[in-house]
Amino acid sequence: MINATKNYFHFLWRCGRIAFVGDWRYYAWMGILSVIILLGINAYAKQFVHGLMVTGMSDQVSWGVYIANFTFIVGVAAAAAMLVIPVYIYDNKELHDLVIFGELLAVAAILMCLAFVTVDLGRPDRFWHLIPGIGKFNFPGSMLSWDVIVLNGYLLLNVHICGYLLYCRYQGRTPSKWFYIPFVFLAIGWAISIHTVTAFLYVGLGGRPFWNASIVGPRFLASAFTAGPAIIILALQVIRHVTDYRISDKALLTLRSIVQVSMLINVFLLFNEVFKEFYTRTSHVAASNYLYFGLHGFHALVPWIWTAILFNIVAMFILVLPMSKSLKYLNVACVLAIVGIWIEKGMGLVIPGFIPSPLGEMVEYTPSLNETLVCLGIWAFGLLAYTLFLRMSIPILQGRIAKSNEGASDDHLFAAGQKSDQTTASPHVTTTHI
Amino acid sequence: MNRNSNIALVGIAVAFLVLAAAFVFDLWGRTPATPPIPLVDKKFVDTSPSRVSIAEFLRKGGDPSDYECNICHEKNKPIKIKFDADNNIILPKEHLDIALSHGSHKRNNNCYNCHDEMNLELLQTRDGRQLKLVDSTPLCGSCHGPTYRDWEAGVHGRTSGFWDRGLGDYSRLGCASCHNPHSPKFPGREPAPGPHALHPIAKAPAHHESERTHE
Amino acid sequence: MTPNPPCSSGACNGGGGNGNGGMNRRSFLRTSGVLASGIAALAASLAPLRDLTDYTSAAEFMQKHYKELSKDDMDKVLDRITREVEKQYAIRPHVKDYKPMDGVEFVYCLNLTRCIGCRKCVHACVAENNQSRDPEIQYIRVLKMPHGSFDMEKGDHNYSTPTVPEKGFFYMPVQCQQCKNPPCVKVCPVEATWQETDGITVIDYDWCIGCRYCEAACPYFARRFNWTKPSIPKDSINPEMSYLGNRPRKQGVMEKCHFCIQRTRAGKYPACLEVCPAGARKFGNILDPNSEVSYILRTKKVFVQLKEELGTSPRFFYYFDV
Repeated sequence: MINATKNYFHFLWRCGRIAFVGDWRYYAWMGILSVIILLGINAYAKQFVHGLMVTGMSDQVSWGVYIANFTFIVGVAAAAAMLVIPVYIYDNKELHDLVIFGELLAVAAILMCLAFVTVDLGRPDRFWHLIPGIGKFNFPGSMLSWDVIVLNGYLLLNVHICGYLLYCRYQGRTPSKWFYIPFVFLAIGWAISIHTVTAFLYVGLGGRPFWNASIVGPRFLASAFTAGPAIIILALQVIRHVTDYRISDKALLTLRSIVQVSMLINVFLLFNEVFKEFYTRTSHVAASNYLYFGLHGFHALVPWIWTAILFNIVAMFILVLPMSKSLKYLNVACVLAIVGIWIEKGMGLVIPGFIPSPLGEMVEYTPSLNETLVCLGIWAFGLLAYTLFLRMSIPILQGRIAKSNEGASDDHLFAAGQKSDQTTASPHVTTTHI
Repeated sequence: MNRNSNIALVGIAVAFLVLAAAFVFDLWGRTPATPPIPLVDKKFVDTSPSRVSIAEFLRKGGDPSDYECNICHEKNKPIKIKFDADNNIILPKEHLDIALSHGSHKRNNNCYNCHDEMNLELLQTRDGRQLKLVDSTPLCGSCHGPTYRDWEAGVHGRTSGFWDRGLGDYSRLGCASCHNPHSPKFPGREPAPGPHALHPIAKAPAHHESERTHE
Repeated sequence: MTPNPPCSSGACNGGGGNGNGGMNRRSFLRTSGVLASGIAALAASLAPLRDLTDYTSAAEFMQKHYKELSKDDMDKVLDRITREVEKQYAIRPHVKDYKPMDGVEFVYCLNLTRCIGCRKCVHACVAENNQSRDPEIQYIRVLKMPHGSFDMEKGDHNYSTPTVPEKGFFYMPVQCQQCKNPPCVKVCPVEATWQETDGITVIDYDWCIGCRYCEAACPYFARRFNWTKPSIPKDSINPEMSYLGNRPRKQGVMEKCHFCIQRTRAGKYPACLEVCPAGARKFGNILDPNSEVSYILRTKKVFVQLKEELGTSPRFFYYFDV
């Protein structure tokens, strides 16, 4: 037992050390991210002292870009399941190892989600009130308490699955199916639940007709399963580009078909929503009017939402046409889809829910500089976390960091970073396969 | 040693140090000062009734001579009220401070509807009761039945003090504490300042107010 | 660019790996240099925290939920609040924890025929309940509405005519409706807000985490958030305070109308009623058939519960005289 713990800590130690080793591109990338994170921390420190006054939010628009980004990123996290489903349910071999990359993305995304929720709190020092047992947890009444459970549960599930598979790979042994397959299936269901619960946060508010619509949940899932795999398609190509990890085009094209179908459903659901609002034109159309056309002379969101719709529709056409079998076009479609959904699911969903206010007041919202810096900081933090996860897991998956080469480890790791011109694998490294 | 890595690392270190200096001296992101919100005038939180009735005036030790009618008027000798061609009352110059505007159609264009012509220090109801000037409320009630009923239930006009009558007293304002008996329509008043936005907008759509008012 | 596995992977156990102590030392120095500058920048990035004052105290941080405080705990808490108020505002307050009375359920009735839109209630409320003056927190919003419509989108919140009332409009003050089925209570993740037996929905300001979910849930725009440290002039503090009511709030927590707990649970009328020059506001115990509100609900014909279709069942009734 003691030995096992020692081994495990040694594994963590080696993972930790490798995070500081890389070529100049790696350093530059991590350096830039760190700078942005520091700017974000500084901005948050200001917010901590002076309160949320330093954001653009107000009593009328009481949630802003923090919650907007949170909503978008929950979808990205949920989409990791879209990689897992073909692998474990349809037994798709192409994606098998890539599942880890998807789940690591989910972990990074959930960390970002937690950060976005935390910076949105007025009293972050009272975070412990949310912890079941010692705090006072309004479960099952509050959808937010459900969200705390599903997000943290999803984080634990993915950390367990990735951590277990990677550690087995490191040790060169075959993972025990009982130890992860049940969790994989649980995680698939859980992925749906994190996004459904997040949708229900909004849907459950009767006083906000813009959100209080049953289509919000399905649209959340459809857009998440578009944006998430689209991000993974881009991430995998970056991995393929900067490392020698082999990722086949076939894997990317499998993901393409997921994005394709989800995008069609997403646009279809959007059309349903628009029809319902504008054909009937009840008094509840005010928020949609504000979003799409402007209301009483206020129209801050109008250019954004039309950009989003344009991007989504162009992306949809590229995706359904055979041209997107070429990676060049597929990438364009992915970028358009990600940006489009980020606007539409973030600002396009959260802000109009507040405008006009329940008493019909028109107060617009523009994120402040400070708020934007905090957001950028969290995005940089998420990218940094994902880069670190990949930095640690790719050598493990390739067998370059393994128990079998433990003895030779530490010095080489440090030396290694300086030798980026050398590409040959060390002779005494054995690649293990599971 | 890889040169590029070194440049990158030195660059990062320099960037960190520059950033550190910038943070310490707080070079950006200072919150813009919003225009201060003036404190609201204390008159807007004053709970005293909107006017001073005779009863209140006398209770507070006001000069009663204005209400001692018989100093000028003689008891039991009713004065004839004069009207102009339009049937508007012509007030004597001693009473020009009275703006008589009670009810529509000039139906109350007559002092003796309320004042006792035989003794001007008294009021008279339609059913012949005589009331002191300070007890005007039942007089109003003799015409304004439903309102009087509401008033008696504490529902018309303000009832102040304790809702829980076991814990303390309550007071009910008489009609004349809010309404001028000669011109009872509740007068308009200056509204207290409206709300201030948390983030004052530099440029609000100019047509907003008018557009909404004309809808 | 060719894939240039940055050797990073540990794969390049490079030639210099063994025994080149100088290189390792240099690499160590280099890494530590970058790390040190990074840590310096991290520490400097927290520089704004030097302006942090009176954020919280150990006692406040550790304080239990209102419903879990024993009598002794509550005495200590009230004592702490007294000291804090004394320190900050140089005035000795009387802070009490008023409990709901038996056989009492509060109801508010507002006569739309009588309201003249003078906004005195707004400011009396601010003064009574120690609300922040700058930034401004107000529990009551008065809407100027055109005759003939109840569409609040047509309401004007910022009217500033020289006199009110203006012909062709009626005025509708909106504040917490003290719903029987309050959406704000349901959504709070930490039970920092709840409905008491007398119908008042209260907030434990020392428990609220400031997520503002209740603010999003409220259909009446009744809840307010302390976007920054509230500011109240020292001479304007109302020293008669209650724990769940008007004691000064901290930055980052919600607050809202609580029917002036410190007055109404002591048997008095709320401040907004006491200042109303038109007598448009009526308040009382609906369980007492002789109360003014019972009389109104019994005899008047038309009531409006705002957004009745939402099923919130407000305890705040708008009615008309003529």
